[in-house]
Amino acid sequence: MPATAAWLASLEALLNRSIDGSAQAAALTRRLQGTSLDIDAGITRVRARAVGSRLVLLASDETSADAVISGSLPALLQLLRGGAAPLAGKAAAAVSGNAEVANLYRSLFLLARPDPEEELSRWIGDFAARRVSRFAGQTIEFARRVRRTAGENIAEYLQEESRDLVNGTELEEFLRGVDDVRETADRIEARLERLGTSAKGTP
Amino acid sequence: MDHSGRKVDFGFEQVGWSDKAERVRSVFASVAGKYDLMNDLMSFGVHRLWKQFTLSLTGLRPGDRALDVAGGTGDLAAGLLRQVGKSGRVVLSDVNPAMLGMGRDRLLDRGFVSNVDCIVADAERLPFEDGSFACVTIGFGLRNVTDKAAALRSMYRVLKPGGQLLVLEFSTPVAPGLKPVYDAYSFKVLPLLGQMVAGDAASYRYLAESIRMHPDQETLLEMFRAAGFAQSRYHNLTGGIVALHRGYKI
Repeated sequence: MPATAAWLASLEALLNRSIDGSAQAAALTRRLQGTSLDIDAGITRVRARAVGSRLVLLASDETSADAVISGSLPALLQLLRGGAAPLAGKAAAAVSGNAEVANLYRSLFLLARPDPEEELSRWIGDFAARRVSRFAGQTIEFARRVRRTAGENIAEYLQEESRDLVNGTELEEFLRGVDDVRETADRIEARLERLGTSAKGTP
Repeated sequence: MDHSGRKVDFGFEQVGWSDKAERVRSVFASVAGKYDLMNDLMSFGVHRLWKQFTLSLTGLRPGDRALDVAGGTGDLAAGLLRQVGKSGRVVLSDVNPAMLGMGRDRLLDRGFVSNVDCIVADAERLPFEDGSFACVTIGFGLRNVTDKAAALRSMYRVLKPGGQLLVLEFSTPVAPGLKPVYDAYSFKVLPLLGQMVAGDAASYRYLAESIRMHPDQETLLEMFRAAGFAQSRYHNLTGGIVALHRGYKI
Protein backbone atom coordinates (compact mmCIF):
# COMPACT_ATOMS: atom_id res chain seq x y z
CA MET A 1 0.00 0.00 0.00
CA PRO A 2 1.53 3.33 -0.99
CA ALA A 3 2.03 6.06 1.57
CA THR A 4 -0.86 8.46 1.96
CA ALA A 5 0.28 12.03 1.41
CA ALA A 6 0.51 14.09 4.58
CA TRP A 7 -1.60 16.89 3.06
CA LEU A 8 -4.43 14.40 2.50
CA ALA A 9 -4.24 13.34 6.14
CA SER A 10 -4.41 16.97 7.26
CA LEU A 11 -7.36 17.65 4.94
CA GLU A 12 -9.11 14.54 6.22
CA ALA A 13 -8.61 15.61 9.85
CA LEU A 14 -9.92 19.08 8.96
CA LEU A 15 -13.07 17.70 7.33
CA ASN A 16 -13.67 15.20 10.13
CA ARG A 17 -13.48 17.95 12.73
CA SER A 18 -16.20 19.81 10.84
CA ILE A 19 -18.25 16.62 10.49
CA ASP A 20 -17.95 16.07 14.26
CA GLY A 21 -19.31 19.56 14.79
CA SER A 22 -22.37 19.09 12.59
CA ALA A 23 -25.08 16.53 13.37
CA GLN A 24 -26.35 16.84 9.81
CA ALA A 25 -22.91 16.11 8.35
CA ALA A 26 -22.39 13.17 10.71
CA ALA A 27 -25.77 11.71 9.72
CA LEU A 28 -24.94 12.15 6.04
CA THR A 29 -21.57 10.43 6.53
CA ARG A 30 -23.30 7.48 8.21
CA ARG A 31 -25.75 7.36 5.32
CA LEU A 32 -22.85 7.16 2.89
CA GLN A 33 -21.18 4.36 4.90
CA GLY A 34 -19.47 1.89 2.61
CA THR A 35 -19.58 4.10 -0.49
CA SER A 36 -16.68 5.86 -2.12
CA LEU A 37 -16.12 8.79 -4.43
CA ASP A 38 -13.12 9.48 -6.62
CA ILE A 39 -12.21 13.12 -7.15
CA ASP A 40 -10.10 13.39 -10.28
CA ALA A 41 -8.46 16.77 -10.66
CA GLY A 42 -6.08 15.68 -13.44
CA ILE A 43 -2.91 16.30 -11.44
CA THR A 44 -4.12 14.07 -8.63
CA ARG A 45 -6.89 11.57 -7.95
CA VAL A 46 -8.23 11.26 -4.41
CA ARG A 47 -10.66 8.72 -3.05
CA ALA A 48 -13.12 9.74 -0.34
CA ARG A 49 -14.74 6.92 1.60
CA ALA A 50 -17.28 7.13 4.40
CA VAL A 51 -16.42 4.84 7.29
CA GLY A 52 -18.78 5.03 10.25
CA SER A 53 -19.23 8.70 10.96
CA ARG A 54 -15.82 9.60 9.55
CA LEU A 55 -14.55 10.47 6.12
CA VAL A 56 -11.35 8.81 4.93
CA LEU A 57 -9.27 10.36 2.15
CA LEU A 58 -6.77 8.19 0.30
CA ALA A 59 -4.80 8.27 -2.90
CA SER A 60 -7.08 6.57 -5.40
CA ASP A 61 -6.16 3.04 -6.47
CA GLU A 62 -7.10 0.76 -9.36
CA THR A 63 -10.43 -0.36 -7.87
CA SER A 64 -13.47 1.52 -9.07
CA ALA A 65 -15.40 3.92 -6.87
CA ASP A 66 -19.19 4.31 -6.72
CA ALA A 67 -18.94 7.71 -8.37
CA VAL A 68 -16.30 9.90 -9.95
CA ILE A 69 -16.21 13.67 -10.13
CA SER A 70 -13.60 14.85 -12.57
CA GLY A 71 -12.59 18.22 -13.90
CA SER A 72 -10.11 21.02 -13.55
CA LEU A 73 -9.19 22.13 -10.06
CA PRO A 74 -11.03 25.49 -10.33
CA ALA A 75 -14.19 23.73 -11.56
CA LEU A 76 -14.03 21.21 -8.72
CA LEU A 77 -13.46 23.93 -6.16
CA GLN A 78 -16.38 25.89 -7.53
CA LEU A 79 -18.52 22.77 -7.34
CA LEU A 80 -17.49 22.16 -3.75
CA ARG A 81 -18.01 25.79 -2.83
CA GLY A 82 -21.65 25.31 -3.72
CA GLY A 83 -21.68 27.11 -7.03
CA ALA A 84 -22.77 25.45 -10.22
CA ALA A 85 -19.81 24.16 -12.18
CA PRO A 86 -19.36 25.42 -15.72
CA LEU A 87 -21.43 23.22 -17.99
CA ALA A 88 -19.14 22.98 -20.94
CA GLY A 89 -15.63 23.58 -22.12
CA LYS A 90 -12.28 22.69 -20.64
CA ALA A 91 -13.20 23.90 -17.16
CA ALA A 92 -16.30 21.73 -16.80
CA ALA A 93 -16.69 19.24 -13.95
CA ALA A 94 -18.21 15.92 -14.95
CA VAL A 95 -19.89 13.27 -12.82
CA SER A 96 -19.86 9.61 -13.74
CA GLY A 97 -21.12 6.52 -11.92
CA ASN A 98 -23.79 6.84 -9.25
CA ALA A 99 -24.94 10.46 -9.49
CA GLU A 100 -26.88 10.28 -6.21
CA VAL A 101 -23.78 9.22 -4.29
CA ALA A 102 -21.78 11.98 -5.97
CA ASN A 103 -24.40 14.53 -5.03
CA LEU A 104 -24.53 13.32 -1.42
CA TYR A 105 -20.76 13.58 -1.14
CA ARG A 106 -20.97 17.08 -2.58
CA SER A 107 -23.53 17.97 0.08
CA LEU A 108 -21.25 16.42 2.71
CA PHE A 109 -18.29 18.51 1.57
CA LEU A 110 -20.45 21.62 1.73
CA LEU A 111 -21.61 20.79 5.26
CA ALA A 112 -18.07 19.92 6.35
CA ARG A 113 -16.60 23.11 4.96
CA PRO A 114 -14.12 24.24 7.64
CA ASP A 115 -14.44 27.60 9.36
CA PRO A 116 -11.01 29.28 8.98
CA GLU A 117 -11.42 31.28 12.20
CA GLU A 118 -12.30 28.15 14.16
CA GLU A 119 -9.29 26.30 12.75
CA LEU A 120 -6.99 29.19 13.49
CA SER A 121 -8.25 29.34 17.07
CA ARG A 122 -6.98 25.80 17.61
CA TRP A 123 -3.46 27.08 17.02
CA ILE A 124 -3.40 30.54 18.48
CA GLY A 125 -6.44 30.71 20.73
CA ASP A 126 -9.90 32.25 20.36
CA PHE A 127 -9.03 35.86 21.02
CA ALA A 128 -6.03 36.03 18.69
CA ALA A 129 -7.90 34.06 16.01
CA ARG A 130 -10.80 36.54 16.16
CA ARG A 131 -8.38 39.46 15.80
CA VAL A 132 -6.50 37.82 12.92
CA SER A 133 -9.77 36.89 11.24
CA ARG A 134 -11.10 40.46 11.50
CA PHE A 135 -7.79 41.83 10.24
CA ALA A 136 -7.83 39.39 7.31
CA GLY A 137 -11.45 40.35 6.51
CA GLN A 138 -10.61 44.06 6.59
CA THR A 139 -7.50 43.48 4.47
CA ILE A 140 -9.48 41.59 1.85
CA GLU A 141 -12.15 44.32 1.82
CA PHE A 142 -9.43 46.99 1.52
CA ALA A 143 -7.81 45.07 -1.35
CA ARG A 144 -11.15 44.86 -3.17
CA ARG A 145 -11.70 48.60 -2.70
CA VAL A 146 -8.18 49.37 -3.90
CA ARG A 147 -8.66 47.21 -6.98
CA ARG A 148 -12.00 48.86 -7.81
CA THR A 149 -10.71 52.40 -7.22
CA ALA A 150 -7.48 51.77 -9.13
CA GLY A 151 -9.49 50.38 -12.04
CA GLU A 152 -11.73 53.45 -12.09
CA ASN A 153 -8.75 55.82 -11.87
CA ILE A 154 -6.84 54.09 -14.66
CA ALA A 155 -9.93 54.05 -16.87
CA GLU A 156 -10.52 57.74 -16.20
CA TYR A 157 -6.89 58.60 -17.01
CA LEU A 158 -6.91 56.66 -20.27
CA GLN A 159 -10.27 58.16 -21.31
CA GLU A 160 -10.04 61.73 -20.10
CA GLU A 161 -6.33 62.59 -19.77
CA SER A 162 -4.31 60.61 -22.29
CA ARG A 163 -7.29 60.09 -24.63
CA ASP A 164 -6.02 56.59 -25.50
CA LEU A 165 -9.49 55.20 -24.89
CA VAL A 166 -12.89 56.67 -25.62
CA ASN A 167 -15.35 57.12 -22.80
CA GLY A 168 -18.78 55.53 -22.68
CA THR A 169 -20.67 58.54 -24.08
CA GLU A 170 -18.31 58.93 -27.01
CA LEU A 171 -18.46 55.21 -27.68
CA GLU A 172 -22.27 55.31 -27.75
CA GLU A 173 -22.17 58.32 -30.05
CA PHE A 174 -19.78 56.51 -32.36
CA LEU A 175 -21.94 53.39 -32.39
CA ARG A 176 -25.01 55.49 -33.10
CA GLY A 177 -23.11 57.10 -36.02
CA VAL A 178 -22.18 53.62 -37.32
CA ASP A 179 -25.86 52.62 -37.12
CA ASP A 180 -26.85 55.78 -39.01
CA VAL A 181 -24.28 55.11 -41.74
CA ARG A 182 -25.45 51.50 -42.06
CA GLU A 183 -29.10 52.53 -42.28
CA THR A 184 -28.27 55.23 -44.85
CA ALA A 185 -26.27 52.71 -46.89
CA ASP A 186 -29.21 50.27 -46.70
CA ARG A 187 -31.58 52.98 -47.87
CA ILE A 188 -29.34 53.97 -50.78
CA GLU A 189 -28.95 50.32 -51.74
CA ALA A 190 -32.75 49.84 -51.70
CA ARG A 191 -33.27 53.02 -53.72
CA LEU A 192 -30.65 52.03 -56.29
CA GLU A 193 -32.29 48.64 -56.56
CA ARG A 194 -35.67 50.28 -57.21
CA LEU A 195 -34.14 52.65 -59.73
CA GLY A 196 -32.47 49.73 -61.47
CA THR A 197 -35.74 47.80 -61.61
CA SER A 198 -37.69 50.75 -63.02
CA ALA A 199 -34.90 51.50 -65.56
CA LYS A 200 -35.14 47.90 -66.85
CA GLY A 201 -38.94 48.29 -67.26
CA THR A 202 -38.61 51.52 -69.31
CA PRO A 203 -38.77 50.93 -73.12
CA MET B 1 6.28 -16.70 27.22
CA ASP B 2 9.80 -17.99 27.78
CA HIS B 3 12.33 -15.97 25.81
CA SER B 4 15.47 -17.40 27.40
CA GLY B 5 18.16 -17.84 24.77
CA ARG B 6 16.31 -15.67 22.30
CA LYS B 7 18.20 -12.72 20.87
CA VAL B 8 16.95 -9.29 19.91
CA ASP B 9 18.45 -6.23 18.21
CA PHE B 10 19.95 -3.52 20.33
CA GLY B 11 21.14 -1.23 17.59
CA PHE B 12 23.41 -3.39 15.41
CA GLU B 13 24.20 -5.60 18.40
CA GLN B 14 22.35 -8.79 19.30
CA VAL B 15 21.50 -8.99 23.00
CA GLY B 16 19.46 -11.34 25.14
CA TRP B 17 15.68 -10.85 24.95
CA SER B 18 15.45 -9.83 28.58
CA ASP B 19 18.51 -7.56 28.42
CA LYS B 20 17.22 -5.09 25.83
CA ALA B 21 14.77 -3.30 28.13
CA GLU B 22 17.50 -2.71 30.68
CA ARG B 23 19.97 -1.49 28.06
CA VAL B 24 17.37 0.89 26.60
CA ARG B 25 16.53 2.10 30.09
CA SER B 26 20.19 2.92 30.75
CA VAL B 27 20.49 4.77 27.39
CA PHE B 28 17.54 7.00 28.16
CA ALA B 29 18.52 7.48 31.79
CA SER B 30 21.83 8.76 30.45
CA VAL B 31 20.34 11.23 27.94
CA ALA B 32 17.19 12.32 29.83
CA GLY B 33 18.65 15.63 31.01
CA LYS B 34 19.57 16.83 27.52
CA TYR B 35 16.87 14.94 25.62
CA ASP B 36 14.86 17.95 24.40
CA LEU B 37 17.91 20.02 23.54
CA MET B 38 19.37 17.12 21.59
CA ASN B 39 16.09 16.55 19.74
CA ASP B 40 16.10 20.17 18.62
CA LEU B 41 19.73 20.04 17.58
CA MET B 42 19.53 16.70 15.81
CA SER B 43 16.37 17.44 13.86
CA PHE B 44 16.94 21.20 13.45
CA GLY B 45 13.66 21.64 15.31
CA VAL B 46 11.66 19.68 12.74
CA HIS B 47 10.60 17.12 15.38
CA ARG B 48 8.16 19.75 16.61
CA LEU B 49 6.45 19.78 13.22
CA TRP B 50 6.32 15.97 13.13
CA LYS B 51 4.68 15.96 16.56
CA GLN B 52 2.30 18.76 15.59
CA PHE B 53 1.24 16.79 12.52
CA THR B 54 0.65 13.74 14.69
CA LEU B 55 -1.48 15.76 17.07
CA SER B 56 -3.51 17.17 14.20
CA LEU B 57 -4.70 13.65 13.34
CA THR B 58 -5.78 12.40 16.76
CA GLY B 59 -9.45 13.30 16.25
CA LEU B 60 -9.75 13.82 20.00
CA ARG B 61 -12.58 15.85 21.43
CA PRO B 62 -12.92 17.60 24.79
CA GLY B 63 -13.72 15.02 27.44
CA ASP B 64 -11.87 12.14 25.73
CA ARG B 65 -9.21 9.98 27.36
CA ALA B 66 -5.85 9.57 25.63
CA LEU B 67 -2.68 7.62 26.34
CA ASP B 68 0.84 8.65 25.36
CA VAL B 69 3.05 5.56 25.49
CA ALA B 70 6.81 6.00 25.85
CA GLY B 71 5.90 9.63 26.25
CA GLY B 72 9.36 10.72 27.35
CA THR B 73 9.44 14.37 28.13
CA GLY B 74 5.75 14.86 27.41
CA ASP B 75 5.67 16.81 24.13
CA LEU B 76 2.81 14.77 22.68
CA ALA B 77 1.07 14.51 26.04
CA ALA B 78 0.94 18.31 26.33
CA GLY B 79 -0.72 18.52 22.93
CA LEU B 80 -3.17 15.76 23.85
CA LEU B 81 -4.02 17.59 27.07
CA ARG B 82 -4.88 20.72 25.12
CA GLN B 83 -7.17 18.68 22.87
CA VAL B 84 -9.08 16.80 25.58
CA GLY B 85 -9.48 19.93 27.69
CA LYS B 86 -10.18 20.07 31.39
CA SER B 87 -12.97 17.51 31.17
CA GLY B 88 -10.70 14.93 29.52
CA ARG B 89 -7.79 12.93 30.81
CA VAL B 90 -4.35 12.02 29.50
CA VAL B 91 -2.06 9.29 30.76
CA LEU B 92 1.64 9.76 30.14
CA SER B 93 3.49 6.47 30.41
CA ASP B 94 7.10 5.52 30.00
CA VAL B 95 9.15 2.53 30.99
CA ASN B 96 11.92 4.83 32.11
CA PRO B 97 11.35 6.65 35.45
CA ALA B 98 14.00 9.29 34.66
CA MET B 99 12.30 10.27 31.39
CA LEU B 100 8.86 10.12 32.97
CA GLY B 101 10.06 12.38 35.79
CA MET B 102 11.22 14.92 33.21
CA GLY B 103 7.89 14.66 31.41
CA ARG B 104 5.86 15.09 34.59
CA ASP B 105 7.90 18.17 35.62
CA ARG B 106 7.49 19.74 32.19
CA LEU B 107 3.74 19.15 32.17
CA LEU B 108 3.50 20.69 35.63
CA ASP B 109 5.52 23.68 34.41
CA ARG B 110 3.06 24.09 31.56
CA GLY B 111 0.16 24.16 34.01
CA PHE B 112 -1.22 20.65 33.43
CA VAL B 113 -1.95 19.32 36.88
CA SER B 114 -5.38 17.90 37.48
CA ASN B 115 -6.13 15.78 34.45
CA VAL B 116 -2.85 14.02 33.75
CA ASP B 117 -1.49 10.79 35.22
CA CYS B 118 2.14 9.78 34.89
CA ILE B 119 2.68 6.06 35.06
CA VAL B 120 5.76 3.89 34.68
CA ALA B 121 4.53 1.20 32.32
CA ASP B 122 5.89 -1.25 29.80
CA ALA B 123 4.34 -0.77 26.35
CA GLU B 124 4.13 -4.55 25.93
CA ARG B 125 1.96 -4.95 29.03
CA LEU B 126 -0.02 -1.78 29.51
CA PRO B 127 -1.67 -1.76 32.94
CA PHE B 128 -5.03 -0.43 31.78
CA GLU B 129 -8.44 -1.94 31.27
CA ASP B 130 -9.59 -2.96 27.79
CA GLY B 131 -11.14 -0.12 25.80
CA SER B 132 -9.92 2.70 28.04
CA PHE B 133 -8.71 5.29 25.53
CA ALA B 134 -10.01 7.12 22.47
CA CYS B 135 -6.48 7.58 21.16
CA VAL B 136 -3.07 6.11 21.88
CA THR B 137 0.12 7.76 20.67
CA ILE B 138 3.70 6.59 20.78
CA GLY B 139 6.33 8.99 19.50
CA PHE B 140 9.85 7.71 18.81
CA GLY B 141 9.33 4.90 21.28
CA LEU B 142 8.30 1.79 19.38
CA ARG B 143 11.77 1.01 18.03
CA ASN B 144 13.06 0.73 21.60
CA VAL B 145 10.44 -1.82 22.55
CA THR B 146 11.70 -5.40 22.71
CA ASP B 147 8.56 -7.10 21.41
CA LYS B 148 6.93 -4.64 19.01
CA ALA B 149 4.12 -6.98 18.03
CA ALA B 150 3.18 -7.44 21.69
CA ALA B 151 3.25 -3.67 22.20
CA LEU B 152 0.93 -3.14 19.22
CA ARG B 153 -1.46 -5.79 20.55
CA SER B 154 -1.35 -4.20 24.00
CA MET B 155 -2.11 -0.75 22.59
CA TYR B 156 -4.91 -2.24 20.49
CA ARG B 157 -6.40 -3.80 23.61
CA VAL B 158 -6.57 -0.54 25.58
CA LEU B 159 -8.17 1.37 22.69
CA LYS B 160 -11.92 1.89 22.62
CA PRO B 161 -13.75 0.64 19.53
CA GLY B 162 -13.33 3.44 16.98
CA GLY B 163 -10.16 4.57 18.72
CA GLN B 164 -6.97 5.31 16.86
CA LEU B 165 -3.31 4.40 17.37
CA LEU B 166 -0.71 6.83 16.05
CA VAL B 167 2.89 5.66 15.85
CA LEU B 168 5.43 8.36 15.03
CA GLU B 169 8.78 6.76 14.38
CA PHE B 170 11.95 7.04 12.37
CA SER B 171 11.69 5.05 9.20
CA THR B 172 13.34 4.46 5.84
CA PRO B 173 14.01 7.50 3.62
CA VAL B 174 12.20 7.26 0.30
CA ALA B 175 13.10 10.61 -1.25
CA PRO B 176 15.66 10.14 -4.04
CA GLY B 177 19.23 10.89 -2.97
CA LEU B 178 18.34 11.37 0.68
CA LYS B 179 19.60 8.06 2.05
CA PRO B 180 23.38 8.57 1.65
CA VAL B 181 23.17 12.07 3.16
CA TYR B 182 20.99 10.78 5.99
CA ASP B 183 23.33 7.84 6.66
CA ALA B 184 26.37 10.10 6.80
CA TYR B 185 24.57 12.47 9.13
CA SER B 186 23.32 9.67 11.41
CA PHE B 187 26.57 7.79 11.80
CA LYS B 188 29.08 10.64 11.68
CA VAL B 189 27.39 13.76 13.00
CA LEU B 190 24.92 12.43 15.59
CA PRO B 191 27.44 10.59 17.81
CA LEU B 192 29.70 13.65 17.65
CA LEU B 193 26.81 15.91 18.61
CA GLY B 194 25.86 13.51 21.42
CA GLN B 195 29.40 13.61 22.74
CA MET B 196 29.60 17.39 22.60
CA VAL B 197 26.20 18.21 24.08
CA ALA B 198 25.16 15.25 26.22
CA GLY B 199 28.63 13.82 26.83
CA ASP B 200 27.43 10.45 25.53
CA ALA B 201 28.36 9.36 22.01
CA ALA B 202 27.38 5.72 22.53
CA SER B 203 23.71 6.48 23.21
CA TYR B 204 23.42 8.50 20.03
CA ARG B 205 25.23 5.80 18.07
CA TYR B 206 22.56 3.44 19.40
CA LEU B 207 19.91 5.91 18.18
CA ALA B 208 21.27 5.76 14.60
CA GLU B 209 21.65 1.98 14.72
CA SER B 210 18.22 1.35 16.22
CA ILE B 211 16.63 3.45 13.45
CA ARG B 212 18.27 1.23 10.82
CA MET B 213 17.05 -1.93 12.56
CA HIS B 214 13.48 -0.66 12.92
CA PRO B 215 10.93 -2.13 10.48
CA ASP B 216 10.40 -0.06 7.35
CA GLN B 217 7.05 1.56 6.50
CA GLU B 218 5.45 -1.44 4.79
CA THR B 219 6.65 -3.96 7.38
CA LEU B 220 5.27 -1.89 10.24
CA LEU B 221 2.02 -1.50 8.32
CA GLU B 222 1.77 -5.29 8.11
CA MET B 223 2.43 -5.50 11.85
CA PHE B 224 -0.45 -3.07 12.40
CA ARG B 225 -2.76 -5.32 10.41
CA ALA B 226 -1.52 -8.41 12.22
CA ALA B 227 -2.29 -6.73 15.56
CA GLY B 228 -5.89 -6.23 14.42
CA PHE B 229 -5.92 -2.60 13.35
CA ALA B 230 -8.27 -1.61 10.55
CA GLN B 231 -7.80 1.08 7.91
CA SER B 232 -4.10 1.08 8.65
CA ARG B 233 -1.97 3.45 6.62
CA TYR B 234 1.08 5.62 6.95
CA HIS B 235 2.30 9.06 5.99
CA ASN B 236 5.94 9.74 5.14
CA LEU B 237 7.33 12.89 6.68
CA THR B 238 10.52 14.67 5.57
CA GLY B 239 11.10 12.24 2.73
CA GLY B 240 10.45 9.15 4.86
CA ILE B 241 13.03 9.93 7.55
CA VAL B 242 10.03 9.71 9.82
CA ALA B 243 6.73 7.95 9.17
CA LEU B 244 3.44 8.26 10.97
CA HIS B 245 1.49 5.00 11.03
CA ARG B 246 -2.12 4.98 12.07
CA GLY B 247 -4.79 2.37 12.49
CA TYR B 248 -8.23 2.07 14.04
CA LYS B 249 -9.77 -0.44 16.37
CA ILE B 250 -13.13 -1.18 14.80
